[in-house]
Amino acid sequence: MELTPQLSWYLALSAVLFTIGVVGVIVKRNVIAMFMCIELMLNAVNLTFVAFSSYFRDVSGQLFVFIVMTVAAAEAAVGLGIIIAIFRNRESLDVDEANILRL
Amino acid sequence: MSAILFILFAGLAIGCAVSMIVQRNPLYSAISLIGVFISLACIYVTLAAPFIAAVQVIVYAGAIMVLVVFVIMLLNVEEEERPAFRLRYLVPTAILFAALLAAEASFVIFTVQTSPYQQAHPSASANPSEVGLTASIGRGLFTQYLLPFEITSLLLLMAIVGAMTLARRASFLSPNVRVVPGAQVLTRQTVDPRAVGDATAIETDSTIEAERLLGLENAPHAKDRD
Repeated sequence: MELTPQLSWYLALSAVLFTIGVVGVIVKRNVIAMFMCIELMLNAVNLTFVAFSSYFRDVSGQLFVFIVMTVAAAEAAVGLGIIIAIFRNRESLDVDEANILRL
Repeated sequence: MSAILFILFAGLAIGCAVSMIVQRNPLYSAISLIGVFISLACIYVTLAAPFIAAVQVIVYAGAIMVLVVFVIMLLNVEEEERPAFRLRYLVPTAILFAALLAAEASFVIFTVQTSPYQQAHPSASANPSEVGLTASIGRGLFTQYLLPFEITSLLLLMAIVGAMTLARRASFLSPNVRVVPGAQVLTRQTVDPRAVGDATAIETDSTIEAERLLGLENAPHAKDRD
């Protein structure tokens, strides 16, 4: 019998990627690196959606992935704008230095 | 065959993700993240979702990562130094929570593995499904899910406006300007109150008058200017 990947394999991969993303957000201090870790977490969730969608023959999951990608693009635009504004005010990208919510 | 492909691309994705965390130069992190995105796109192809795979490469590995790399280059990010260890008790706490998380995740995965509703892998069945193809996704997007689609377009518009507002320069004046002659009275005080301090703004009608007010009448460069 040929070995085919089970649904649980994809869920395990997604869990591992999401955990790596969470670890990155906690460990990293650079804003841009934290931002990329958030993108990694979004991708891990997308993998879960696509796996369920393919295994259960339902297109809704892939539509949801499409919308998640759009939100990620919007988040990238606004988030990088915020990063540029922070850098302009503080000359630093270290989140530990951006600890007061004023200019 | 599909199992070999899955293990190959899953290993590549996890390896690139770990490398992204370990790298301290943000540019190398970004390149590792592109590796994650592309291996995930390959996994989507093995899951019979070619449209999502293409969008993954175009939107994530293309547009978003170009934006991130552009910002990294623009800000000239330095490598982050290794942080000093501050709270000792965090390590056992982290290990405890990691064990808890691993237990929960393995329980969920075990439940899925042994559930009675086992589905065949999409590539294994005799008649391939239409689910991942562009036509079925378009049909779903413009009929049943039209409202989320429109809301998403509104969200994109808000993101465009927000990004432009955030990244716009707050001040239009060069650092040494104190008085702008003529009708375009736009003092630094109005655009950037921090830079002026307690100095007050002066309105004049011409450059000559502004120079007289500022005491720059005899400055060497004053006569060269028109």
